[in-house]
Amino acid sequence: MELRRPSPMPRAWIVIAGFLIAGIAGLGAYFLPVFETAANSTLGAGSIPNLNPAATPTQPFTVLLLGSDDDAKFPPDRLNTQSMILIRVDPTTKQATMLSIPRDLWVPIPDQGTGKISTAYQIGGAKAAIAAVESNFKVHIDDYVWIGLNGLVKLIDELGGVNLFITNPVLDDFYPADLNPNGNPYDYYRIAVLPGASHLDGVRALQYARSRHGDQRGDFARSERQQLLLLAIKAKSKHWNIANLPAVANVMNGEIKTSIGLDRLRALLAISDDFDGTHIHRVVLLPPYTNEGYAAGQDVLFPDWGRILPLVHQSFP
Amino acid sequence: MTRPLIGAALALAMLVFGFGVYHAAGLLKVDHSMVNRPNEITAPALPGTVYLAQRGALYRFRNGSFTQITPEGGWMQPAVSPDGRQLVAVQRKTNYSDLFVLTATGRPTSQITHNNTSALPEYNHWVFYPRFSSDGSTLFYDYDHKDGYSSYQVDLAIFATPTASWRSSVQWSIPHPYTGGDVSPAPIQGGIVFTKFWIDDQSMVHSQVWLQARPRSQGVPLTPKDVNCVQPAVSADQKSIAMICTRGQTQSTELNVASYDATTATLGIPTTLVKAELIASPAFSPDGKSIAYLAPVTPGGAFQLWTVGVSGNPAPRAFTTTLGLDSSSSPVWVAN
Repeated sequence: MELRRPSPMPRAWIVIAGFLIAGIAGLGAYFLPVFETAANSTLGAGSIPNLNPAATPTQPFTVLLLGSDDDAKFPPDRLNTQSMILIRVDPTTKQATMLSIPRDLWVPIPDQGTGKISTAYQIGGAKAAIAAVESNFKVHIDDYVWIGLNGLVKLIDELGGVNLFITNPVLDDFYPADLNPNGNPYDYYRIAVLPGASHLDGVRALQYARSRHGDQRGDFARSERQQLLLLAIKAKSKHWNIANLPAVANVMNGEIKTSIGLDRLRALLAISDDFDGTHIHRVVLLPPYTNEGYAAGQDVLFPDWGRILPLVHQSFP
Repeated sequence: MTRPLIGAALALAMLVFGFGVYHAAGLLKVDHSMVNRPNEITAPALPGTVYLAQRGALYRFRNGSFTQITPEGGWMQPAVSPDGRQLVAVQRKTNYSDLFVLTATGRPTSQITHNNTSALPEYNHWVFYPRFSSDGSTLFYDYDHKDGYSSYQVDLAIFATPTASWRSSVQWSIPHPYTGGDVSPAPIQGGIVFTKFWIDDQSMVHSQVWLQARPRSQGVPLTPKDVNCVQPAVSADQKSIAMICTRGQTQSTELNVASYDATTATLGIPTTLVKAELIASPAFSPDGKSIAYLAPVTPGGAFQLWTVGVSGNPAPRAFTTTLGLDSSSSPVWVAN
């Protein structure tokens, strides 16, 4: 009895399938850091209050940006947020608003009592920070992104630096030398970021955005510089494409936490070109919206909600 | 025997294909970090010599080629004496910076300032922006004279020292406190022009090109506060001033040039020569017909050397495309 030879078609398909699988495996290997970072950094939807996963790229959405000193001064699970910026993006009108929330703002924090708003994250993580902002500012937050110091430096270096116009010299004799994990986190050094158009690497950009001692406006100046740095990062990342994501994911692994899933990220990338600096409204809660004071043995900022809430609701309806 | 060989060859081909896809995906990545050292490239020739700084080294650009004249050791902001025989440049370290005299070929011959102390970081000092007076007798520069009563106050002020001895410095400007100070002195007939910063009641930062005739005199603004101008450069005949102005914008700058009348100490109506994303550190050519400046060639890119005619003609032209020039170091353009 003669054995029937298999027809050549299935064999060809097997070879094609083999090449397809090899190609997909190659792509998968290339994008593996993205999936790993997404798995490590994305918080489950259920753990964020009032999360709105149904928002589509055509609907306005809000993101709370949180920045922490994640050096050895603080236990990894007890970080406060040195920077809190609430962003609202309206894809239809192509308008965006950035509201810097002062870290020393003295507010009721749900389940924690009254304290500086920066401590909400320290005690209750992103969930508590979001709850504090939502309950005090009467806004809804869709997503959050938390980033550590080293993460910001690495992100900017991965971008190849950012371009900024430095409005005035930023000089500080007591700038924290806390980026080196093996150094003394209480050491400090001097910085001088010179004015004018500049191309800043990650460390210099962080100095620019973090320094607060030598400016008449203290933390408010820092808030403004942080907003300008965000705009510069956005301007630079405009030239990215999806092939840049694995390298970014590699450098950011462990330095970023977010509730933004890959779907939302893709949608954000798709609309990012529509926003330039002229359509981004920047708000800093300077006096008289806030007033310096003293509470529980520390310098704080007291909010004037009668002024703040109407201002916030203009931009965060 | 043939079948296993074919199977093995196909498996190998699939493996290679998989690696190829992996690397092809990587090639699609946009990489902004490629920067050449100036001495690795050539560029169209400019008349005369231009001194520039990049990554802590000074370079001389002459006849279309760059020569590195110092090692990469924190060198920045070169100034050239009127006779062209010596340079003064800043060497910047972590907590301090110092002024050095160098030969035109970049060899340090003497140290003018000694701002380093091994004690606490805040006991160190900064020095920046050296500029020779037109007769070469005086060097103007920035120095952070500290406030003894507030350790947080660090503002740069403009000082001057005689080049004959490099001693007995005189403080010229009195900066507004906690603004970062007064920067970028440029000697001019009747005194110096520089950038003065101040912060208004609404917490807005303003920068103005300021003229000051004598040490510690009041001085007068040459530009309106809302135009926000910085980095003045003076032409060799001292009849024109170039400057960078932002009009309050955060990602848009103008290179403006205006006539200067020394008798009335006023600027004429400025002409905008270039409007671009970010422009830095203008410097006149020795004949005053062109202005060199630094700006990216692509949005978000590193800074390159450009020139433009003072009348707008010739049009702006990039002489380099792959460098990462130090935008706080004005090009110094000399005849020889």
